[in-house]
This record gives sequence, structure tokens and C-alpha cells, in this order.
Amino acid sequence: MEGFEIMDSLARLASPIVIGLLMGGLYVVIALGLSLVFGVMKVINVAHGDLVIFGSYLAYSVITMWGLNPLLWLLPSLPLFFILGFLIEKYLLNRAAKISADAALIIAFGLALIVQNASQIIWTPQTRSLITDFTMTTFKIGKVYIPLMYLLDFVAALVVMVVVHQFLKRTYLDQAITAASQDRQTAELMGINPSRVYQVAFGIAMALASIAGIFFGLTFSFNPTSGNALLIIAFGVIILGGLGSMAGTFIGGMIFGLSQTLGGHFFGPTGQLLVPFLMVLVVLTIRPQGLFGR
Amino acid sequence: MSEDALLHLNSIDVFYGSLQVLTGISLEVKSGEIVAIVGANGAGKTTLLKTISGVLHPARGSIEFAGEDITNLNAYEIVDRGISHVPEGRRLFPEMTVLQNLIIGSYNCHARGKRGENLARVYELFPILEERKNQLAKTLSGGQQQMVAIGRGLMANPKVIIIDEMSLGLSPLIVKELFRVLQEIKTRGITILLVEQNVWQTLHEADRAYIIETGRITLSGKAIDLIEEEEIRNAYFGA
Repeated sequence: MEGFEIMDSLARLASPIVIGLLMGGLYVVIALGLSLVFGVMKVINVAHGDLVIFGSYLAYSVITMWGLNPLLWLLPSLPLFFILGFLIEKYLLNRAAKISADAALIIAFGLALIVQNASQIIWTPQTRSLITDFTMTTFKIGKVYIPLMYLLDFVAALVVMVVVHQFLKRTYLDQAITAASQDRQTAELMGINPSRVYQVAFGIAMALASIAGIFFGLTFSFNPTSGNALLIIAFGVIILGGLGSMAGTFIGGMIFGLSQTLGGHFFGPTGQLLVPFLMVLVVLTIRPQGLFGR
Repeated sequence: MSEDALLHLNSIDVFYGSLQVLTGISLEVKSGEIVAIVGANGAGKTTLLKTISGVLHPARGSIEFAGEDITNLNAYEIVDRGISHVPEGRRLFPEMTVLQNLIIGSYNCHARGKRGENLARVYELFPILEERKNQLAKTLSGGQQQMVAIGRGLMANPKVIIIDEMSLGLSPLIVKELFRVLQEIKTRGITILLVEQNVWQTLHEADRAYIIETGRITLSGKAIDLIEEEEIRNAYFGA
């Protein structure tokens, strides 16, 4: 009888563990853009969360207007956001960064306010969600019910990480990023144009925000202020893993997702956000550079 | 300007803010030469090299390379045209391995296709670098770091390699070895422009030389002849 109870409580842990890991995948997708920009430019892009939600809203408009499958919208959305990011870096952040890192941070903050309020004006403060034929689908493995969207979020995280990694490697952008962040002037002597590196990196981060926006919108509902929470979660994820490291971001996302669902399992709804941020505090105390940081 | 000049500086003036560092500098480097610019600390040698490689830009005057005006090009565009600058103090990427440092030297698009070929050549010139290729650059000795810096410069597949203070802080034995390698690089058709405080040895290795004093060229000619010049004796050897 005793053994059965232990087995039973372990079995009940299976659900929060699986859900936590899968949801962590969504957090990884949300945090990757923030992590990339920090790794390259040493700027915390505080507009990242709002840009993700902007991506959700744009997908919402396209879906409601043309009845398009949200995943199909990914194809045009990626280059669109890339170009937008490229231009934002070139004409806003780059100029501010020449003055100081603080100036760039303030510009990013201004961008956050603009995007958030523009979303409010265009799409009203009403809560929306991206709904398509598979958003409500759930399947069952053993005793665990898994929403299909959560699984897709996790798959998206893996695919995005592999694609970004390969892209950076094949375009030699990873070398350029490392060199420019270690010694800007010498990087230029190697033929690297640091400004271009920053523009492309911010473009990629924006494309990642659009992916995150679409997957977030398919998984949860959102309103124009949801970006604030996303920024804080993404920030927690990259602090856990170590700023600027892709592997660290992945591990950070997993830990964040797991501690959220396990926190909820053991301490009820209040534990859901308390526990992950306690984890962030613990990591900051023991290992301030993050688990994978150097 | 003679017709076979590969690199030609036409009376350039360079300022740091309002401070004039170089005044009316003209010089030329012909294909296949080793040209040295020698002078005391603070004479403007490093500034001159930085102006050639596009880190700084002249307020007046022009720079031509292989028949093209490169005066206002950025550093990352100039390395693409075939001028590779090995900076003073080596400036390796400390957190990268020897191999990564070499590879990043071939970042410019003209060098990428020749990466394997150039890497083999660099290893041929400096076999120790192949042995140490997976070591972090910052863990090497000064002499080996200078080898990486020169190797990284060669990875850019340059027509001209410019080297700033190659012998600074290195033992005479290593300096001798590095000069031997420079002669070998020269035989492979790469033009070399050197800046040195180590006047005596440099003049023995170079074909031609320019003496720079407080931002002006005061003397130029065949390196052999310059050794004879009384002025140099007085200025640098305390005779």
C-alpha cells in the first residue's frame, strides 16, 4: 500500500515534468532573440517582449483577414521582421550605441513603449489568441495529456536553434560576432564590418521574435501588455543559462519551464512564477555568470 | 610616382583631434620589396600604418593602392583589396585558439576560397603553430603570439603585409627567426612594409627605408645606404 502511494505520487509528477519541459521550449524561442542581441551588442533589448507580441498581433491580423494558416505566415513574416530589425539597428540603435550603451538601452525602452501603445491603438486592449484547427488538439501518452501546441513549441525551439546555429556558422557570422565583441578595431583589420554584424544580428533577433510571437499566440492568449511578462521571463531564462550563450538559453528555458510547472504542482498557482524566479535568484547568488556563462 | 609603385602615399597629413601627427608624408612601396619605416618612439610610425590600413583617415593627401584610390575606404574594405595589417602588440583574439585566430584572418571574401592553401603555407612557415593550433592564443609565448599575428595577417591573402613593431619585446633569437621568415614571405611574392624601432637589424633586412622623425620623413633611400648615413648613427646609435 505504501509503495503504491509513492508510485502514484511519482506518476503524478510525470505530467508537470513533461509539460514543463515542453513549455520551456516556448520560453527558449522567446529568449533566443534577447540572448543573441545581448551576446553581440551587450545591450538588453527591453523592447523584445513587445516585439514578440507585435509578431503575435500581426499574425492575428493576417489570419483573421485572409484565413491563413499561422505556420504558413512564418514564411513571409521572417524576412519582413529581419528587414525591420536591420533597419531599427541601422537607424536607431547604432546611432545611440555610438553615444553610450545607456543611450541604446533608452532607445530600446522607447521602442518598447511605442510598440506596446501602437499595438493598443491598432488592435485594442482586448485579449486575443491565434486559433487554428490544431490549437485545441490534445493527445495522451500514458497518463499524461499533452496539448499538441506544447509539443510544437518544443520542436520549434530545437529547429530554431539548429537553423540559427548553422546559419551563423555558414555565413561566418559567428566568427565575426566573437571577434567584434573581443576587439572591435582588430576585427575591422580582419575585414569584419562590425556595424553590419550588429545589423544582421538584430535582424535575426527580430525574425526570432516573429517566430516567438506566432508560437506564443498559438499557445496562449495575449494582449498589448503581455510583452512585459515575456521580457521578464526571457530575461530570467538567459540569466539562468548565462547571457549570450545559445546552449545556456536552452538549458535556462528547460529549468524555467520545469520550475514553473513543478512549483505549481507542489505550491499551487502562487508557486508557478515564484519558484522559477527563486531559481534565478539562487543561480545569481551562486553563479552570477549563469550556468553556461563564462 | 614611379609606375611600378604598388602602394603610394601622396603627401598625407593626419591629425588626432587638433594635434597634427603626420605632416606631408609621401612614400611608395613597389611590388616585391621589403620597405622599412624606422624612427623613434612617438615619431608617428604606428599612426602612419593605421592610416594606410584605414583605421585612421588623412585630413589631406591621398593613398593609392594597385592604381586605385583607397584614401577614404574603411579598414574592413582595405583588407579586402589586399593590404593586411599586423597591428602593434599583436592584438590576437585572446579567447580564441591559434587555429581560430588564423581562420578569422581569412574572413575577407577574397581570402575565404584560399583558406586551406594559405593555412598550409602558414604552417609551413611556422610549424610550431600547427602543433599548438588548439591552444588558446593567450597561453602562447610572446614570440609564438607574434607568429600567430603574422600568420593571421598572411591568411588574409594579401598583396602587401604591413607589420607594426614585429620585434618589440622579443628575444634576439626569435627576432632573427622572424626576419628569416619575412625573407621567405618575400620570395613568395608578398610585399612587406615594416615599422620598427629596431633600426640596425631592420635596415639590414629591408630593401629600402624611410626615416621618420616627429611626423615627417627626413630621409629615405636604399636601406644599405642609410646604414652608412652619419645622421642615423648620431640619432640612433649614439656614436
